[in-house]
Amino acid sequence: MQTQVLMITIVFMLIMAIVFARVVRSVKSEKPLERIETKRRGMIWSMLIVGVIVSLGSLRQWPHSIPTAGSTKSEIVQVNATGAQWYWEIDTTEIPLGKTVVFNVKTTDVNHGFGVIDANGTLLAQTQAMPGYTNKVKYVFDKPGKYRVICMELCGTGHHSMQDEFTVIANTEELGG
Amino acid sequence: MSQAENTKHLTPQAGLVKLTMLISGAVFALMMLIGVVMRASQGGLLDMEPDLFYQLLTTHGAGMVGTAGLSGAGIMWYFLGRHVNLSAKMYIGFLALFLIGVVFILVSTFVGHFGGMWTFLYPLPAMSAGAWEPWAAAAFMLGYVFIGVGFLLYYLAVGVAIIKKYGGLGRALGWHVVFGKADVTEAPPPTVIAAAAVTIFNTLGIVVGAAVLVASLVNLLVPGFVVDALLAKNMIFFFGHVFINASIYMAVIAVYELIPEYTGKKWKSSKAFILAWSAILLFVIAVYPHHLLQDMVMPAWMLVMGQIISYLSGVPLLAVTAFSMCVYLHGSKFKWDLASSLLVLAVAGWSIGAIPAIIDGMVVVNQVMHNTQWVPGHFHIYLLIGEVGMSFGFMAWLVKSKSQKQSGMGAMDKLLLTSFAAGGAGFTLMFLVSGALSVPRRWAVHMPEWFLQDRLATIFALLVVFSILTQVIRYATGLSRNTAK
Ligand code: HEM
Ligand SMILES: [Cu+2]
Ligand SMILES: [Cu+2]
Repeated sequence: MQTQVLMITIVFMLIMAIVFARVVRSVKSEKPLERIETKRRGMIWSMLIVGVIVSLGSLRQWPHSIPTAGSTKSEIVQVNATGAQWYWEIDTTEIPLGKTVVFNVKTTDVNHGFGVIDANGTLLAQTQAMPGYTNKVKYVFDKPGKYRVICMELCGTGHHSMQDEFTVIANTEELGG
Repeated sequence: MSQAENTKHLTPQAGLVKLTMLISGAVFALMMLIGVVMRASQGGLLDMEPDLFYQLLTTHGAGMVGTAGLSGAGIMWYFLGRHVNLSAKMYIGFLALFLIGVVFILVSTFVGHFGGMWTFLYPLPAMSAGAWEPWAAAAFMLGYVFIGVGFLLYYLAVGVAIIKKYGGLGRALGWHVVFGKADVTEAPPPTVIAAAAVTIFNTLGIVVGAAVLVASLVNLLVPGFVVDALLAKNMIFFFGHVFINASIYMAVIAVYELIPEYTGKKWKSSKAFILAWSAILLFVIAVYPHHLLQDMVMPAWMLVMGQIISYLSGVPLLAVTAFSMCVYLHGSKFKWDLASSLLVLAVAGWSIGAIPAIIDGMVVVNQVMHNTQWVPGHFHIYLLIGEVGMSFGFMAWLVKSKSQKQSGMGAMDKLLLTSFAAGGAGFTLMFLVSGALSVPRRWAVHMPEWFLQDRLATIFALLVVFSILTQVIRYATGLSRNTAK
């Protein structure tokens, strides 16, 4: 995901930079501009249309939806994580592979940010930990191995050291049940 | 050009504004030096205690945001003075309160070791786990209160002056033209429309900020007084978002007023321009939930609104301000100088920076980019290349001598422009790359895997610092030369 986002961003930024570079050169242009307001309207309309498409596409499935009761209930693994200056308390160290995991994230003191990163250091999911609230985030792990939990919201001078880890295990038998 | 000569004397408080820009330029340079030190420390090039890093980050954040506001306010005051009667006393009051606030903040961070960030997210100021004393947090927030009151004074002066001349903020926004029967020739000038919109939204932002500051201050004194953390966060980000946006929307007035001096074509208050600024007024107020996209306890509609308005904010920027500038520039055959180059670069930087910002404003993307260095990546583009570019463009114009007017760009101008643009682009790109590699923002200590971007960014940042420091010195000597004349 992150790599695509970076690529798309750089492409758009480059296009924009090229447009401005051409504008700078157009200062010397002899040819007058034509149909300026039509072009402006075209630009506004195309931005609006692209906006509607992208918004619908990216919001149709609400990214924060949390699966609850229902047929899949048995498949959902609940994990509770609580932040405090400056450590995480997670009620399990082993998480099954391929199941929907819901992290219930809380804090005992200030705001923290619950972020899960894989062995390559790529951020997979995050949510805020806020006094008085339980934030939830779901994720399905598709690779076994070690994962780390880091803090994604500044919480004082130990912020960067607030880390923990858990293991995703392929065979649920190993979890003892 | 003769129009420029005529209008220059129409700004009775030019001296105060020149002083404001001198202070702004010097503080920008100083805060950039702190920025380089932080980036070098992240890259393992310097050995720094994490506590000090967080104090520096707090100072840099508050210092930069405050100075962006100050320089924007200076620009807006200068050009608004061409159209309405502004009170010098109020401006002096604003400046004095601002500087008192700065002293409080410096004492708080450097003496009191406050490291709770410029966003003072509740309840961190009161719960530092021993890193700083409550008085330091209180001093920091009192500093904000002084600055906030100063700005309220400033907007009061602006609002009163505008209403006196135009008979109401609605008319100053040009609503009688787009919603009433008035002809477009009766629309106020672009500067007045922009100033009216900023006055409304930033007053609102500062009042909300003051409310949450007071609540946080009471919480410091009486820990039993508890505030709802989600409400406090909403208020803080509403204030923070509006305030930093106001700085760019004030600074862009320099583009509206100065680009015409080069192109010879007046910047018009067209219907599109009026509608764009009414949209900006609405969007700046309503877009702030894009800072809370990972607070899933927020009402979903607010987050959806945050995403959609983030995107829509690009429309007035690109289709009106940037587009119009391009149209005005086309075929106008003027000779580039440092001032005009910086102003155009700044609009380009603002437009380019909007792209990663809009993409990060999507909930799905934000889930993996929120609070990574992607965020300082996009805002440094439009703050450093955009807001700071506009400020230094304005400063270069202020001290432009008659002879320079004919000669265009000298070798030194070219060097300063190139190192600012290339350094700024490289420095911000490294943040974006780090963000895409999941490097969290606001981490005092980085993993060795991240050092490469950190170190490259440090080098790029040094180019920016070189350019900005030199420009500040040239501005200062330019001022003394002009006053000597
Ligand atoms: C040479 C120029 C600059 C350098 C080297 C620099 C460096 C930095 C660094 C290293 C950070 C922390 C990144 C992190 O979170 O890991 C930062 C944050 C920040 N910078 Fe800059 N910066 C520069 C210019 C600016 C300018 C011009 C502005 C605004 C006008 C600005 C505003 C901010 C703000 C608001 C933050 C966020 C502080 C926080 O996280 O609370 N910076 N900068
Ligand atoms: Cu934390
Ligand atoms: Cu933290």
